[in-house]
Amino acid sequence: MTEYFLHIAIISGLYIILALSLNLIIGYCGQVSLGHAAFYGLGAYTSALITIHWQVSFFLALPVAAVVAALFGLGLGIPTLRLKDDYLAIVTLGFGVIVDLILLNLDVTGGPDGLARIPPPRLGGIDFRDKVWYLLLVALVVAFTLGLISRLVHSRHGRALKAIRDHEITARVMGINASAYKISIFTLAAGLAGLAGSLYAHYITFINPESFGLHTSILVLTMVVLGGMGSILGSVVGAGVLTILPELFRRFADYQDLAYGAMLIALLIWRPQGLLGSGKISRKFSLAKNRAKKER
Amino acid sequence: MLTLKSVHSYYGSLHVLKGVSLHVRAGEIVALLGANGAGKTTTLKTISGLLKPRKGQVEFQGEDISRLSAEAIVQRGIAHVPEGRRVFSSLSVAANLELGAFARRDHQAVKSDLQEIQERFPILRERAKQPAGTLSGGEQQILAMARALMARPKLLLLDEPSMGLAPRLVKQIFAIIRHLQETGTTILLIEQNARAALKVADRGYVMETGRISLDGTAAELMDHNEVKRAYLGKGYQEVWEE
Amino acid sequence: MLLQQILNGLTAGSVYALIALGYTMIYGILGLINFAQGELYMAGAFATVLLLTAYKVNFFVAFFFGMGVAAVLGVILERIAFRPLRGGHPLVPLISAIGASIFLQSLALLLFGPADRSFPIQFEFAALEIAGVSVSTLQLAIFGAALFFMALLVAFVKYTKFGKAIMATALDQDTARLMGINVDRMIAITFFIGSALSGAAGIMMAIYYNTTYPRMGLLPGLKAFSAAVLGGVGNIPGAIVGGLLLGVAENLGAGYLSSGYKDAVAFAILIIVLLVRPKGLLGGRSH
Repeated sequence: MTEYFLHIAIISGLYIILALSLNLIIGYCGQVSLGHAAFYGLGAYTSALITIHWQVSFFLALPVAAVVAALFGLGLGIPTLRLKDDYLAIVTLGFGVIVDLILLNLDVTGGPDGLARIPPPRLGGIDFRDKVWYLLLVALVVAFTLGLISRLVHSRHGRALKAIRDHEITARVMGINASAYKISIFTLAAGLAGLAGSLYAHYITFINPESFGLHTSILVLTMVVLGGMGSILGSVVGAGVLTILPELFRRFADYQDLAYGAMLIALLIWRPQGLLGSGKISRKFSLAKNRAKKER
Repeated sequence: MLTLKSVHSYYGSLHVLKGVSLHVRAGEIVALLGANGAGKTTTLKTISGLLKPRKGQVEFQGEDISRLSAEAIVQRGIAHVPEGRRVFSSLSVAANLELGAFARRDHQAVKSDLQEIQERFPILRERAKQPAGTLSGGEQQILAMARALMARPKLLLLDEPSMGLAPRLVKQIFAIIRHLQETGTTILLIEQNARAALKVADRGYVMETGRISLDGTAAELMDHNEVKRAYLGKGYQEVWEE
Repeated sequence: MLLQQILNGLTAGSVYALIALGYTMIYGILGLINFAQGELYMAGAFATVLLLTAYKVNFFVAFFFGMGVAAVLGVILERIAFRPLRGGHPLVPLISAIGASIFLQSLALLLFGPADRSFPIQFEFAALEIAGVSVSTLQLAIFGAALFFMALLVAFVKYTKFGKAIMATALDQDTARLMGINVDRMIAITFFIGSALSGAAGIMMAIYYNTTYPRMGLLPGLKAFSAAVLGGVGNIPGAIVGGLLLGVAENLGAGYLSSGYKDAVAFAILIIVLLVRPKGLLGGRSH
């Protein structure tokens, strides 16, 4: 039983990292990524491949996975983030499909069968097959992510980002390179998703393309919207709730996607700020203020 | 014909009209003057239903229209020519005119009105197939007014019809306004060019920060020192009386 | 070989173009990408297949029934998932559309199961040989039907009162209201038409590939979106050209590069277009 709770805690931790990173894109780029699971998958496969084939230590593979995912994020962000509106969503969705196709078609990724026997991390005498240790490891990465995001938000760059978020045109006039900032944020978020992917691969030790499809991207999006777009704590809570709830309602697993779809629409209509959103970013997504702006 | 009773309008939380009362009688031209941001355009938007007043009433021919949608208000006989003309630039001139009559059901009469309007403004016939966006500023203003006339309005709301036009065209626009009055259309007119407006108008109102600060006949306002100082500067005189 | 690929591409492309028209019209009038367009495509196909399985109705009756179901579903979708959210941050209706898409997909999965369904009517199609290229009459029929619907749409937009009113609403909602145009109704009509076209596209593909399944709309939906971007979003002729070009490019890619990556061609094109010419070939709304 303890094992089971530890497992849920570890999975929650991974989703917290994913939700936090997606929330960065939504909060600061004002766009949605539907390919977040692809970055997660890129991290997982990178990490798995280099540890299997080159016997690289997990602790080196983890940052490498993040860097590879981030590079893909950079490549995707440059053409799309300069554009306004909702292009990123579709482009990232398409990116997700391409990544899926590549993982399914390449020999090195094992096609639909995926990769097995991914080595669990080892450090000195510590065996991370013990779930307590693995949870500790995940918790450390979650803490690192939270620390990074809160430092970013409170830094000089954070203020520039807020200026872009609140009034992009004014920010541009003030000489802030909004596109560069958005691309950096997107790259960072992709890297964080890669980190989560690596942690997932070495925990489960068996991966296939199924775990990194659109379903996962939408699950993470639902977590962010449930917790409150733009709210850091909200993402943590949203990820926790949506990891634990399905466990409680296993019998209704078939209805899970149906529920997520309905939940997204219902939340946006009745509670666009989510469970915990109340800050400036969340208000941006609630309707009243925007309606007022439009009327003028 | 039209009566506003202490109307309050907001843009979101911004209180723009703070109790505007005015009236327009059938057959009149009434000018609405005032500085930028005084609330003139907002007043017209509130009348035509693009904005809903939060307090107060807008009555048209004895009916309270303040809760009606913009579409319903057009059908009651109020046509609004918005600021900046707002022609449908990628649609043809003819399509713009047809859309002016969108709310009408008397298709035969619409056809003959179209003929009549194209006769009165030959440019609109010559350019009928051209996209409206390719017309010059003055032609677009004429199109915008003609489009509004296609609704056969009883009351025409004109928002800055002379804005950005050359003096010769300004004259032409005001000649049209005068002609419309003669043919029985009632007009509520916003103008920066106060002298020109008061020349055609019967009466006028002056707005300041969301309220009516002054009203009177056109002649009274023209002589009023306040109005002279604030709105009848030399520049306008030159434009109108060259 | 080359000519053959182009021909196959035009068939698929004409279907993408039909869906792309829906995207472009809805984008034009609401400024939003209707993510659930692919699901309306799926709904049209399912409605037709189910009707034909249950009752022995005429094929054309079933075809228009499928289009009707997609159209009505589109209108309901707008009413529930978009209208309450109008005027908000652009992300909000986008996420709502994603929600609607996943909802409809999983609903179809629950109602119809994950298995493929073949098309209930087996048509007898002849293979013609024209200049060394083999063309089936099915391909010709699909291409012809798609062109017919496109022509119908263009005529509607250009020559009817409601078509012009829809264009006016897309250009300037407030001024459209001043003409007495009911904006909500125009948006509903746009959804009705766009969804009906997607439904028709779905039915044609269900016949062409002889399969109907809950996730069938995902890829064509995405590809049609790429087609709309390629032609210039908000631009009706652009959607048609974009769809045809995309279909051809995809088939050439599959024929000359690798068939495993056929589905990737559309997204590669999408990304390249966004990099090089974000307004699309024929120019759309500025982004």
